[in-house]
Amino acid sequence: MERRDFIKQSTFFSIGGLLIPSLFLSSCRKELLLEDFQYTGKVLIIGAGAAGLYAGYILKSKGIDFQILEASANYGGRIGKLSGFAKYPLDLGAQWLHGKNSIVGELVSQSGAKITLDNSDEKYWFKNKIVSSLPKDINTIFTRETNLPDISFKDFAIQEGFGNDYNNIVEGIAGDSGAAASRISAYWKIKEEENWISGDDDFKFEETYFDLIDSQIASKVQDNIKLNTIVKKINYTESSIVITDSNNNTYSGDKVIVTVPITILKSNAIEFIPSLSLDKTSAFSKIGMDAGMKVFLKFNNKFFDQNIIGGSTSASYSDESIGKQQDDNVLLAFIMGKQAEYLTSLGNEEDIKNALLQELDSMYNGQASASFISYHVQNWTTNPFIKGAYSYSTIGMGDARQISAQSINKKIYFAGEAMNFNGHHQTVHGAIETGYKEVINILNDIKK
Amino acid sequence: MIKFINLMLLILSFFTTMAQELKIDISYKYIYANHWDKIVQTYNFSRPFNSNNQPLLMNGFNSSVSRIFKPNNNISHGLNVSYSYFRSSAEDQNFTNNLNLHFLNLGYIFHYQNQEKSKAFYADFILAITSSGLFRNLNGASFEYDNKKSIALSIGSEVDIKFGYSLQKSNNQYLSPFIVIGYIPYFYSPNTETVINQTKGLVEKNWTTILISQIGVAYHFR
Repeated sequence: MERRDFIKQSTFFSIGGLLIPSLFLSSCRKELLLEDFQYTGKVLIIGAGAAGLYAGYILKSKGIDFQILEASANYGGRIGKLSGFAKYPLDLGAQWLHGKNSIVGELVSQSGAKITLDNSDEKYWFKNKIVSSLPKDINTIFTRETNLPDISFKDFAIQEGFGNDYNNIVEGIAGDSGAAASRISAYWKIKEEENWISGDDDFKFEETYFDLIDSQIASKVQDNIKLNTIVKKINYTESSIVITDSNNNTYSGDKVIVTVPITILKSNAIEFIPSLSLDKTSAFSKIGMDAGMKVFLKFNNKFFDQNIIGGSTSASYSDESIGKQQDDNVLLAFIMGKQAEYLTSLGNEEDIKNALLQELDSMYNGQASASFISYHVQNWTTNPFIKGAYSYSTIGMGDARQISAQSINKKIYFAGEAMNFNGHHQTVHGAIETGYKEVINILNDIKK
Repeated sequence: MIKFINLMLLILSFFTTMAQELKIDISYKYIYANHWDKIVQTYNFSRPFNSNNQPLLMNGFNSSVSRIFKPNNNISHGLNVSYSYFRSSAEDQNFTNNLNLHFLNLGYIFHYQNQEKSKAFYADFILAITSSGLFRNLNGASFEYDNKKSIALSIGSEVDIKFGYSLQKSNNQYLSPFIVIGYIPYFYSPNTETVINQTKGLVEKNWTTILISQIGVAYHFR
């Protein structure tokens, strides 16, 4: 063979050998992209929290028609902002960015929002004294590396030798998960967090979490949100789904993403026609969501520590000025589970404030009442469209989240933090993940 | 990684005493890893706030060194070490996201070259253990959270078929253009989704298959 022939032949075979499989594989790649995919149907989203707003944002970016129906007068769900109370704005709901390795972490980088690592000191109210450390380290018993039994935090702590003296400390640890210590499962809490990968560091926003969600997500879909629309009925009998609100207005769509809190689904506040299966309702009932409230107390001097764990009225207090540019003397009482139920049962905000001041007075020798200026109560439990804090893992929970999140007849889809079974439930980034995941599921179902 | 490369060099230098042909090549490499594609596509789909899409991990280069023993036989065999590099970069105003994928591959070659007919053509059948490291860079710096670097390590086995044509440059030196078709049936990559999409178990499974094609040129001497 002559060299010229060789060059011809080898060029032909090389290009052919390489390009034919490459072209074939490139066509497979395009198939997955969903980029050229046109959907002319309409998607209705119930709830304008993080999941609903993000689902809308994705749909808008793909040019798909959608409408968000929100029961309350504001969007944001369990993310809110309080301005004017202190020198800096306060988060009424979600407050900490739990780890930077998440879609919200990226949104923070992209938007230039300022966050600060919260490495504030922790102190404990233990045997009627404020102490820097506990006689026995309780935090290590609830670690992800340990294979824990399917019993409550409270029972497990007792089993490990942390008796009555530690009750309120355990309540504080459970409160981080939005639950009463006697209701959250030690086993399922750890099991569900096996896929937690966003990081263990907590960050605080110089502005608020709400500002980030508002400027980066909600502002993009604001025109598609209908506020004060309380959904009462979802009829998915026909190919077109009909939603009826409390004023008997109807909305039609081809797909529905339900993003309301799990408490709303459990309370049957929304009627599904046909009814949801027993498997589904039973799965809903296994996902816990306890009472929760945040009380902001403003003082004229900073007599308090950065964090105090173990109060009997509020198991957790923290200094709100951490991570903020300006200083102000605002203490947050972060109250969950049975403590939130008790304070809610007092009936009025003044009594809640008095109960907290009484506890702080006992911790700090009367300094709380002496320097008290004002307060603000954000009780998520009494909010009729939220009814609690956030979802947690109950005893015997199993795969309740997976079942709850399954779509129905390729028409009704479920999103929200409680539907996240990839380890990021209870978080804003977890809710966002379910929001975009359900849009992908919808498009994949249509393609099939 | 350095220990591994040193070990490979040691093994190669041991075989050098009985070696007959050394081959060094460089090539363009194309990979199709369907599961990794899905992760990158999910990343792009879910982040409309990025104005530029993250390109798929598909185009890279490969460089390898191999030693063939008794190359004058029709069928001979030898060792092969190769390194590949792929990069995916997306730039935005405040946010530049780079994915750097490195492959290291240790294989055994079965080399066929008919010494009587069409002497210039050769075919290599390569069985290899392949590993990779996927690193993420954000705004020019290694992405870290909780003071840990974001890295996904993977491992699998690979089978390649290589066809080449040797052009004699001098008594002992040859130049050969070649093409390679390869397949990794199971590439265990549990943290790839974590590095790219910052989720775990949301996109799909923690392994992928990879199809490979390469085109390049080898320099070999006996």
